[in-house]
Amino acid sequence: MKLKRIRIEQLRQFQNPLVVDDLQPGINVITGPNESGKSTIASAIRAAFFERHRSSSVSDLQPWGDSSAAPQVMLEFDWQDRHWRLEKRFLGRKRCDLEIAGVHYSGDDAEEQLAELLGFQHPARGASKAEHWGIPGLLWIEQGAGHELRPAVEHAADHLQSALGAGLGEVTSSGGDEIIQAVATQKAVFLTATGKPRGEFAKLPGQIAQQREELAGLEARIASYRQEVDRLSELRKQHAMDAREKPWQMLRQQQQAAEKALANVETLQQAQAVDRQALQSCQNTLVLLREQLEVFQRQQQTLLQRQSAAQHAQETLQALREGETEIDVKHQLAEKNYRQARLIEQQARQQEQLSRLRQELERLSQERVALDDRLEKAYRVQAELLAQRRALPRQRIDEPTLEKLRKQHKQRDDLEIRLQSIATRVQYNILPDQAIELDGQALSMQGEILLLESGEVTIPGVGHLRIIPGGEDIGELSRRQRQLEDVLKALFEQLELTSLEEVERRVEAHQRLDIEIQANERLLSSLAPKGIDLLSQACETCKQQCETLSAQCRSQTALAEQAPSLVDAEAQRTTAEQALKLAEKRQADHQLALNGARRDAANSDVELQRLQAELSAPDRQQRERELSQQLVEQRAEYASLEQRIANRQQRIDAAQPALLQQDVQRFARSAEQLEKAAHDRELALTELHSRLEAHSAEGLEEQRAECLLLCEQLGRRFVEMERRVAALSLLDTLLKEKRHALTQRLQAPLQRHLNHYLALLFPQASLSVDENLIPTQLTRTQTFGMERGTLETLSFGAREQMGLISRLAYADLLREAGRPTLIILDDALVHSDAQRLAQMKRILFDAAERHQVLLFSCHPEDWRDLGVAPRDMQALKAVSDA
Amino acid sequence: MRLLHTADWQIGRQYGRFAPEDAHALAEARFSAVERLARLATEQAVAAVLVAGDVFDAQTVSDRTIRRLFNAMQGFSGPWVMIPGNHDAALAESVWSRAKRLGAVPAHVEVLLEPGVYAFPQAGIAVLAAPLTQRQTSADLTAWFDDAESPEGLLRLGLAHGSVQGQLADDIDSPNPIAAERAARARLHYLALGDWHGLKQIDERTWYSGTPEQERFKNNGAGQALIVAFEKFDHPPRVTAHQVGKFQWHHWQETIRVDSDIDRLIERLEALPSPAVLALDLRGDTDLAGHRRLTQALAEAEARHRSVQYDLSALRLQPTDADIAALDADGYLGDVIDELRAQQSLQDDEASRDALVLLAGLLRERLPQAASHAEESESGLGMSSLAQEDSA
Repeated sequence: MKLKRIRIEQLRQFQNPLVVDDLQPGINVITGPNESGKSTIASAIRAAFFERHRSSSVSDLQPWGDSSAAPQVMLEFDWQDRHWRLEKRFLGRKRCDLEIAGVHYSGDDAEEQLAELLGFQHPARGASKAEHWGIPGLLWIEQGAGHELRPAVEHAADHLQSALGAGLGEVTSSGGDEIIQAVATQKAVFLTATGKPRGEFAKLPGQIAQQREELAGLEARIASYRQEVDRLSELRKQHAMDAREKPWQMLRQQQQAAEKALANVETLQQAQAVDRQALQSCQNTLVLLREQLEVFQRQQQTLLQRQSAAQHAQETLQALREGETEIDVKHQLAEKNYRQARLIEQQARQQEQLSRLRQELERLSQERVALDDRLEKAYRVQAELLAQRRALPRQRIDEPTLEKLRKQHKQRDDLEIRLQSIATRVQYNILPDQAIELDGQALSMQGEILLLESGEVTIPGVGHLRIIPGGEDIGELSRRQRQLEDVLKALFEQLELTSLEEVERRVEAHQRLDIEIQANERLLSSLAPKGIDLLSQACETCKQQCETLSAQCRSQTALAEQAPSLVDAEAQRTTAEQALKLAEKRQADHQLALNGARRDAANSDVELQRLQAELSAPDRQQRERELSQQLVEQRAEYASLEQRIANRQQRIDAAQPALLQQDVQRFARSAEQLEKAAHDRELALTELHSRLEAHSAEGLEEQRAECLLLCEQLGRRFVEMERRVAALSLLDTLLKEKRHALTQRLQAPLQRHLNHYLALLFPQASLSVDENLIPTQLTRTQTFGMERGTLETLSFGAREQMGLISRLAYADLLREAGRPTLIILDDALVHSDAQRLAQMKRILFDAAERHQVLLFSCHPEDWRDLGVAPRDMQALKAVSDA
Repeated sequence: MRLLHTADWQIGRQYGRFAPEDAHALAEARFSAVERLARLATEQAVAAVLVAGDVFDAQTVSDRTIRRLFNAMQGFSGPWVMIPGNHDAALAESVWSRAKRLGAVPAHVEVLLEPGVYAFPQAGIAVLAAPLTQRQTSADLTAWFDDAESPEGLLRLGLAHGSVQGQLADDIDSPNPIAAERAARARLHYLALGDWHGLKQIDERTWYSGTPEQERFKNNGAGQALIVAFEKFDHPPRVTAHQVGKFQWHHWQETIRVDSDIDRLIERLEALPSPAVLALDLRGDTDLAGHRRLTQALAEAEARHRSVQYDLSALRLQPTDADIAALDADGYLGDVIDELRAQQSLQDDEASRDALVLLAGLLRERLPQAASHAEESESGLGMSSLAQEDSA
């Protein structure tokens, strides 16, 4: 389809007609600033095709404010070597005319022709909307809608499908999906979404297992039932045999025979027991007789023993008596020795005592001398102390008094010095022989007098001369001096001293005494710490002890002089003592032995005499003879008894009474057991019979048959279900596989075209297409690997680019299907950068080789390199106006 | 003078391989067979009915079963003379001792539990009975017949249960042996045998009557009873078989190669007298149309007969292009059908056959005129019970 010419009149800003002609089969670029009418041209083309000429809802096509205008569009194009001319008027004079190669259509006919040609629908009523636009909606991109692909493809789906032939329709139109759904529904009865059994199909194996278990249980019970029936039959057979043969009766007879034999033997045994008793008593008598005879013999022997014993006792006594004297002598000697040793020991002890006394006396004498010395010294010091203490209180001058005295004295001395310096000096030198007097005192020779008050010098021969000392306070001073002198004098008197020097001396002496007293006190306390009286007592005590000891010494000296040492003496005494003890013991032992021997000798004699008397008694001989006779008789009886018993024992042994006893028991027990077994069998028979009766009533085998029936039916049902599930699963899988394969096959051409364009933009990239032929996922090779993403995740610019590429691919597809393709791009690719835009222009140029493209843009500079001259709106308007 | 000879009633037998209701009906049929036997005996005015063992299928059947059996025998006033077989041997405790305890055995029924000669002067017969008193025995229990005396003037009849030596195939029911020439040796006028479920003559005086109601897919004359008619004592009796069984059991194995094979099979199905028990094994190939016809015919047969069991798993489905076109399976659905066909012919795969039938059913359901066939396409899988359950 090639658009040749467009004419617009009374449409939006084109009040006057605008003609665009000489449109080229490839790219046509129409440029102009905003609001210059580019989009109006695109809208006019849309309106010409899509809007019904009778539509009253196209008033937006009218120029502004001109409600009487009749918007008019005329299009001329070629298609399939025929010339088409479409003229449409809206609103004012509604009209549609279509002329195809000279054939004229008008009104609705014309519009139907167009719709069929281009693949779109007219709205039933009102303005045409996007869902009606079909293929043009896909290929005519409005301003800013280039990135939105999915709605446009969906609206065009039907047309695309019809355009692309039967192939695409097969996927969805013939109800394959319905079949898939039906299979899934049936499968869902048996399997869950994850392929696990559900419902009855899931429960059946459990039920089957349960039935089989029940069956096994029944079979086990039947088997045991059958065994019991067999046992019942066996028991009955045995019971019948018991009743017929009664095997225990024969045993009873055998038992009785054995009992009889046993009774015979027992009679013999009793006789034997009587004889044995007799034998025993006979034997006892024999023993008794022998014992009596033995007693007689033993008495004879005893007599001999007694005689020798009596003799032996006499000999022993004699020997002991002979040894007695010697033992006594030895004892006396030992006693003497002991006394001697004790005496010596006593002396040694006294000697020891004396030497200790002497040592003590020596020590006390020395102590006494020392004590005396100390006492004497102490007395001396005490006397000295007494004298010193006596001297001390008389001369005591306390410190304040001394200080006062010193002060007064000094004042007085100062006054005197001052007086002498101011006093009137009277120096004289008198001739020898001559004399003068001063205040009655003769002056001679040379001298000097100090006058403190007026004096009268009498010079014999000459008269009197009064001298009065000058100065104002000499009088005062003199008075003070006298006062001081008085004070001093009073103080000295108090102290009973005359001068200060004396006072000083006394103080010094006092201090010296103090020191001496302290020294003496310390000396005294060291000499007699507890006082002199105690010391003197100690002296006295010591003296008395000395005297006592010396008296003791003197008294003992006489006793011990030559004694040996105490240790030796004690040893000797011990030895002597032991010897004495030994001697005493020997003597005592000897005495004891002697007494014993005397008693033995006496006893032996008595015994001997008694025995001799007994033996010589007269009836003894008679008795002995009788006993011997009895002995012989008893022996004979014993032998005869023994013979009888042996004979009878042979008969008893031959009869074997123990075995007979066992036989009786054996036969009795056997019979008993047989009877008991028969009885038990009878009981068991009854019990088993009643049990079996109960069991047979349960109808076990019938139950088993029913159980087996159910088991087989369930099993068959499960197998049937398995078959059905297998068939459904197979069908399900196969349907989905084939559907997928077909979809892929149908997508192949679109895929090819898409990849053709895509390769120009992104080398080695691919764009996958879903079953509705909508591009979904872009796969690109990046530096770091493969990148996948849906179109929606791409940037606006990239989406716009993908949208254009996809549309071009659809256009190729439509062209191959022999459908008209016209591509209108209104302000397309405004969001592309320079590099992408360059690539997109290559793509556009390539597409323009096969399709007519109308490109409206307000950026003429962007589209200079498309190999065509852009047509400017202004120029178009100008041409039209002209 | 006439006698009725029957055996192997196997009362209490269950049929596991059938659907529950069929199994129940077949078990019931064993009772009704006894009723028909009684009717036959009355019609034929027989002197006695001889039952040669295996009256019960098991020792421990329910009390109800025991009572029902004896009730079913009311139609003939007797005497009924019966011996135990290997299934109901006269053990120490047996179904018989229980029946007696229950008081279920009526007066006109004589159960001979011990071997011996039993005289029935009113019926004119003396029965030499060889009942089984053990489950199995390796001795010939009829051996003593040879030397046994029986009252003069009465028919000398043998009644035994076991396998005649050297006469039966290997699948004999029990090892209890019976000498082949027993009737002659023991001077018997007739020897009535049980144990073999088919009808079989051993010699002119020795017969197996077979079971009165068939219970196996074996075409050996089962389902009948014998009327034994004596003209004179020294002449062999005239023995005639009478149909007693309600259900004929058939086992067909067919191979489908061409469409007309299906036509023939359908004709056979339609001709099969009802009610029957049919087991059908099919193999070979068919197209979808053939399959549909077949399943429809089978569904009709199921409705007419007691039980129709069929195994179509060995029957390959080969949809023709016309089939596919009829299903309007365009696009990938056609691919799926092709794939299933290929799989089926390559691997003889049951699942792909089933899947194909299923898919065809689903597709036919979509066709406006085929809505009524929905049911039948389900059953086409040979899963009739399942389909019923599903729809329930």
